[in-house]
Amino acid sequence: MRLRNIIIAVKLALLWCSPALAHVSEQGFVLLLPTGAYISAGVAVVALTVIALFAIPERAVTRMFSVRALPSRGFGTLPVVTSLLSFCVMCFGIYIGIYGSRNPLSNLMPLGFWTVGWIALVSLAAFLGNIWTWINPWVGLYHLLRIKEPLVRLPEGTGVWPATLMLVAFAAFLLADPAPDDPARLAQLVAAYWGFTFLGLILFGPNWCRRAELGQVLFAAFASLAVIRLQPPAGIGGPGWQIAQAPPVRAAGLFALTLLGVGSFDGLNETFWWLGQIGVNPLEFPGRSAIVGVTVMGLFGAILGLIVAFAVVVWLGMRLARKQVPFGLAFGWLALCVLPIALVYHMAHYLTAFIVGIQYTIAAVSDPFATGADLLGIQPFRVTTGFFNRIDTVRLIWVTQAGLVVLGHVWSVLLAHRVAITLFGDHRRAAIATLPLSIFMIGYTFLGLWLLAAPKGA
Amino acid sequence: MTQTPKTSRRRLLKSAGAGALLAASPLIGRFASAQSSAPIKIGFQQHSTGIGAAYGRWYGRTTDAAVKMINDAGGINGRPVEIIAEDDGTDPKRGAEVVEKFSNQHGCDVAFGTLFSHVVIGSAPAAGEQKIPYFVVSEGHHVASGALNRYTLQPGITDVKSQVQAMAPYVSENLGKKVTMIFPDFAFGHDHRDFFTAAIEAQGGEVLEHIAVPPAETSFTKYFPKIPRETEVLYHVMVGPAVLTFVKELGEFFGPSSPAIFGFIDSLEAVDLASPGLEFLEGTYFWEGNPRYAQADQTEYDQAFRAAVGVDDNGASVSDPSDVSTYAHMFGCWETLNIIKAGMEASDYQSAADRQKLIEAVEAMTEMPESMQHPQGPKLFNGKTHQVFGVQYISRVENGRLVKVHTTSIEDTLYPDEVDYTTQSF
Repeated sequence: MRLRNIIIAVKLALLWCSPALAHVSEQGFVLLLPTGAYISAGVAVVALTVIALFAIPERAVTRMFSVRALPSRGFGTLPVVTSLLSFCVMCFGIYIGIYGSRNPLSNLMPLGFWTVGWIALVSLAAFLGNIWTWINPWVGLYHLLRIKEPLVRLPEGTGVWPATLMLVAFAAFLLADPAPDDPARLAQLVAAYWGFTFLGLILFGPNWCRRAELGQVLFAAFASLAVIRLQPPAGIGGPGWQIAQAPPVRAAGLFALTLLGVGSFDGLNETFWWLGQIGVNPLEFPGRSAIVGVTVMGLFGAILGLIVAFAVVVWLGMRLARKQVPFGLAFGWLALCVLPIALVYHMAHYLTAFIVGIQYTIAAVSDPFATGADLLGIQPFRVTTGFFNRIDTVRLIWVTQAGLVVLGHVWSVLLAHRVAITLFGDHRRAAIATLPLSIFMIGYTFLGLWLLAAPKGA
Repeated sequence: MTQTPKTSRRRLLKSAGAGALLAASPLIGRFASAQSSAPIKIGFQQHSTGIGAAYGRWYGRTTDAAVKMINDAGGINGRPVEIIAEDDGTDPKRGAEVVEKFSNQHGCDVAFGTLFSHVVIGSAPAAGEQKIPYFVVSEGHHVASGALNRYTLQPGITDVKSQVQAMAPYVSENLGKKVTMIFPDFAFGHDHRDFFTAAIEAQGGEVLEHIAVPPAETSFTKYFPKIPRETEVLYHVMVGPAVLTFVKELGEFFGPSSPAIFGFIDSLEAVDLASPGLEFLEGTYFWEGNPRYAQADQTEYDQAFRAAVGVDDNGASVSDPSDVSTYAHMFGCWETLNIIKAGMEASDYQSAADRQKLIEAVEAMTEMPESMQHPQGPKLFNGKTHQVFGVQYISRVENGRLVKVHTTSIEDTLYPDEVDYTTQSF
């Protein structure tokens, strides 16, 4: 019966799709901006950086990522306390998700998870360091269990492979699932993931979190861009020094590339161009349910395509440099250097969602059970999106996003060069070895800026 | 913020000593005289996310305001109204799931509020299956066309066929009889093409050229030379992110000497008309479902409606003048909720067992005078087609504001019935 109804519904939908009412939103104003000129300028900045690498002395680059050691300091049981608090917050979120408002825009579960967690905290890790070690909801309870030895050992060389696979699964949920915002579903998933990870923690010990727990690996990846690191080896240096310091663990490079692939596809999948490729009228988006399979395929394609392209440019660079360096090492280490791009994509892509989502979050904190409460005393509080309706604010938002994207690429080019000096021995050879990669990054700058400027329909 | 204060009552009643709380709460006390103080639950199928989110936000604000008014006046049949908002992601498949949830999980009495046509069409079969009255606020012609079912009604907003048709008399008498239409080349644009072409011909006018623009187009200059020289009126209904570019390029193409230009505000709903690049719209005409700017002859109802929803005289949020509302459409939520109230009171609705009585009561409705319940204007409901008909507005852009120049009659919007849902069994 249901199948028949769905078939009828689809047929009717094809016959009758009257008022599309697709909203103009900020993208209408973006199309009025001289984005072509902005894109050219942004690409030129990255290209000039690449050229400058041939001119500036080696010291200039090594100094950028030099580090001054700091005394490592422990925090005793404080992270245990914050983790237990975080566990309580998570339980409250799950409760709200299941029993609170059905509207994701007034429910703290999806707002806390997506707006605060995924958008804001993940970005903050690049500035504050690995805050996940403080706020993950497992280590506190694990500490209380006082387990001395893990029951099972993770095989040597696991690296962050499990977390990389988790990232792909998470991205599929984020981008392809029809209802990633649904409060109850999200609460159930969070609860299941919590149980799964805690089981892993009990079986494999803290190594499980370092290898398989997506939050830990994700925050650690972006935290490696932070200026200050307090845990051993503690230090302060140019952002990226932690990456330049030591070769990565197994699969960390793949994780970074996957992160960038996810971020790139997250922008691409909304564009008129992509919708055209999958045969969707951009003014009549049929809903996420209609394109789950093709979105997952696109996501996999974007990640694989990026990894293959990256491997090719690294291989080409090694050929040009004519120095024997293990391919796996060069690939993995240079791949970490895309983390600044992944970070700025994340920040730029979600900037608009954040400025709207955080308003809903404040409203929901003030009224967590959607009962009309006003705990923060902010009523009448009306969420606004007025800044998308004015060309001056739209321009400000767009230029901020574009500036972040350009900055991230410049940062990546410099960091890759610094790593290449270590890999290939000297400055000149490093510049040659990273030339294909640098050209790739110039192209990626164009892609990133084009994604910001392109008309979107989903 | 669409979950209303009413939720608390439900939870309190469920989870605690209801009697003591009833006595303690002044709000509950107001409803205690009814046979049951349990709330009337209205499932609000909201486009919280997805392409309809901008509309969903304003539909939410309007819904909250309407429910507050209804509850402040004693609720429905002495019972408070509770809104249960579920996000459908502006997705037809999720829409159907949401309607099922309203019926199976949340115990809703009725479902309400859907805007996007494809979601209505995807959800209506579920409403029929669950036998839950489904009040849509979509403008689509799919209800009156007979494509849906007896459980689906559109009593609070007129449909696109009647809107388009009602424009033809004014256009032909005041703007010109030789029309060129420019529209996006898919169902939405085709509806306008078909309905308006027939309507203008009935007025003795003609469409000289139909210019269909591919939906993914973002630059339009190559289409403008196709506009015949003798065109007196250019009718446009472009939608999507490229609308502003369309207007800008149109202005650049014509300069100061253009034909009369007529459009549907759907193109620029929630966009500030004083935006740079839209200067060319000065002197052009728009259909408006409800005048965005408070007019010189503003009714007390429109004034009170704006105050309740928190919208200023420019149709923007009172807390942010650049946050322009979806004023041409969102009144539909207000009016629909008032019709649900009127229908439930006429049928003495008590529980889900009375759903059929409710539908019959709404089907029996005819005239709806302009009032606090119908601030957009007077309406005439057709119980057979489950579609309401009402006055439409034509406004002219003057100094960056839409100034009403014409109000159609309801007769202008009528067309022969295409279905009689009352002959269908429940």
